Amino acid sequence: MKINGNGLQIGYGDTIIIDEIDIEISKNEITTIIGPNGSGKSTVLKAITRLLHYKKGIVNIDGRDLKSFGAKELSRRIGVLPQMHSAPADFLVKELVSYGRMPYQGFLSGRTAEDERIIREAMEATGTYHLRDKSIHELSGGESQRVWIATVLTQQPEILFLDEPTTYLDISHQIETMRMVKRLNQTTGMGVVMVLHDLGHALEVSDRIIVIKDGKKYSEGTPTEVITKQMLQDVYHVDADIVHLEGRSKPLIAFRELA
Amino acid sequence: MQKTKQLHSTKRLKVGFIWGILLVLIAGLSVTAIAIGSARYSFSEVLNALFSGERSTAQTVVLSLRLPRVILALLIGACLSASGALLQAVMRNPLADPGTIGVSAGAGTMAITVLLIFPNLTFSLPLFAFLGAAFACFLIYSLAWKDGINPVRIILSGVAINSVLGGYNAFLQLMNSDNLSGVLAFMNGSLSGMSWTQVRVMVVYAILGLFLSILCVKNANALQLGDEMARNLGVKVNASRICLSAVAAFLAASTVSVVGMIGFVGLVVPHISRMLVGSDYKFMLPTCVLLGGVTLLFADTIGRTAIPGLEIPVGIIMSVFGGPFFLYMLRKKGKFNEN
Repeated sequence: MKINGNGLQIGYGDTIIIDEIDIEISKNEITTIIGPNGSGKSTVLKAITRLLHYKKGIVNIDGRDLKSFGAKELSRRIGVLPQMHSAPADFLVKELVSYGRMPYQGFLSGRTAEDERIIREAMEATGTYHLRDKSIHELSGGESQRVWIATVLTQQPEILFLDEPTTYLDISHQIETMRMVKRLNQTTGMGVVMVLHDLGHALEVSDRIIVIKDGKKYSEGTPTEVITKQMLQDVYHVDADIVHLEGRSKPLIAFRELA
Repeated sequence: MQKTKQLHSTKRLKVGFIWGILLVLIAGLSVTAIAIGSARYSFSEVLNALFSGERSTAQTVVLSLRLPRVILALLIGACLSASGALLQAVMRNPLADPGTIGVSAGAGTMAITVLLIFPNLTFSLPLFAFLGAAFACFLIYSLAWKDGINPVRIILSGVAINSVLGGYNAFLQLMNSDNLSGVLAFMNGSLSGMSWTQVRVMVVYAILGLFLSILCVKNANALQLGDEMARNLGVKVNASRICLSAVAAFLAASTVSVVGMIGFVGLVVPHISRMLVGSDYKFMLPTCVLLGGVTLLFADTIGRTAIPGLEIPVGIIMSVFGGPFFLYMLRKKGKFNEN
């Protein structure tokens, strides 16, 4: 499965946030979109997943126009975890996760044994199966995020989109989430597209990184190609060195000391 | 897996138990409401009048005065509660209620206007009430919509719409002081003097409206997860918002056109139902229907019997008790807005 966006112009009302961007996403890969606050990285993610309408350009999934997909049909092929989501506090984990089967259900039909199996597998894959009988408000931030990811996994998407999945989490939950994403990608071959703030995480988990600056694509490529001293200076206006440590396959970003 | 199944069935058992209790309450309260009043009857007299078919004064009072009123209270309570529950899903706000956000006022205003200006159109009053309610919904959205729906702005625009329409209604009253009773009846919903004629009308609307609201359950549940999440799950968010609002407006408008405006039922009942059976609309909506009937019948019976010789309209009873409840909910609202 391949998603191609060509000449996308995206915005809300009269404001244009992204102007003329080309984007290519493929299955099996982890693609990360990075950029400063307000650069429009989440906007790109929303446009290629049809959460937001684009003003110009075209998005194709395997050569077919995104706009021609039925609502449920699209939900069976891609799954999106938006940044903002909420559930009534009394919902149980397994109830929430089961909503991921909605795209497969008819207007009045209920869950099948097949649905139950997929729901269970999604909880197991995200390490949330032991939480299944807890209500949402009993969960920690990290657990809650894993449960939401399980919900989207239940859609059995070919590509999973995560909008800032680690933003409100502490460092241990951030790492745990990143590790889980990497494992899901490696074991199932499911593609992952993430918007991330943490460049260290982006560098470590991504196969490909897209850098957005002021609504335009600044650069694109493998982590080592993209995360450079020059890029950090141009895009984020920070001084940093890219350091290679012995025994680590990926380099590290060392920001200049504050004082 | 075994445990999951088990938990499902315990939940179902609990919900079934609650529904059973509510049905018993409805039956008990109905008999009580029929028994008490200016003429008091014993339970056996009531049951006799209802089921034996013997002709007596008791039978006349019970069958032609009190029974239709009880049935009407149950139907109106059910419709208003279902309407409130749907509006709360659509507006993602547990404070939404056809009364507090101006949907009932829209229906009432339209009904009063039609009644005063075109008195011969009374037959199509429900249609106009529905148009008024739908228009109020539309106004609320256009005022509260900015990059999605903002729960606080919904309530604020509702309050604004309510007061504008209230002013307009007061103006109509002033201009038509000779026809005041008709206008006042709409302003303070009352079940006084209702007969089988109104019951027959209301039964049709209630069955239709409640059937439609059951069809909304899946989408109402999905909307509770946030617009983007619902869209991700393949729900056509805007279309289902319009459908759910239309059903809610229809339910509220049909009650307004029959008995006038009654506030707070759609606020109090869904809240208590949520505490009883949780937020899944599959269980919550039917609970609202049953509990709504209980609540309105209870309020009407109090209004009818609290002060001997004086009937307090049920709309006033609901405002007196519902207003403080609204304030209480406003204080604990933070709980609902968690991300």
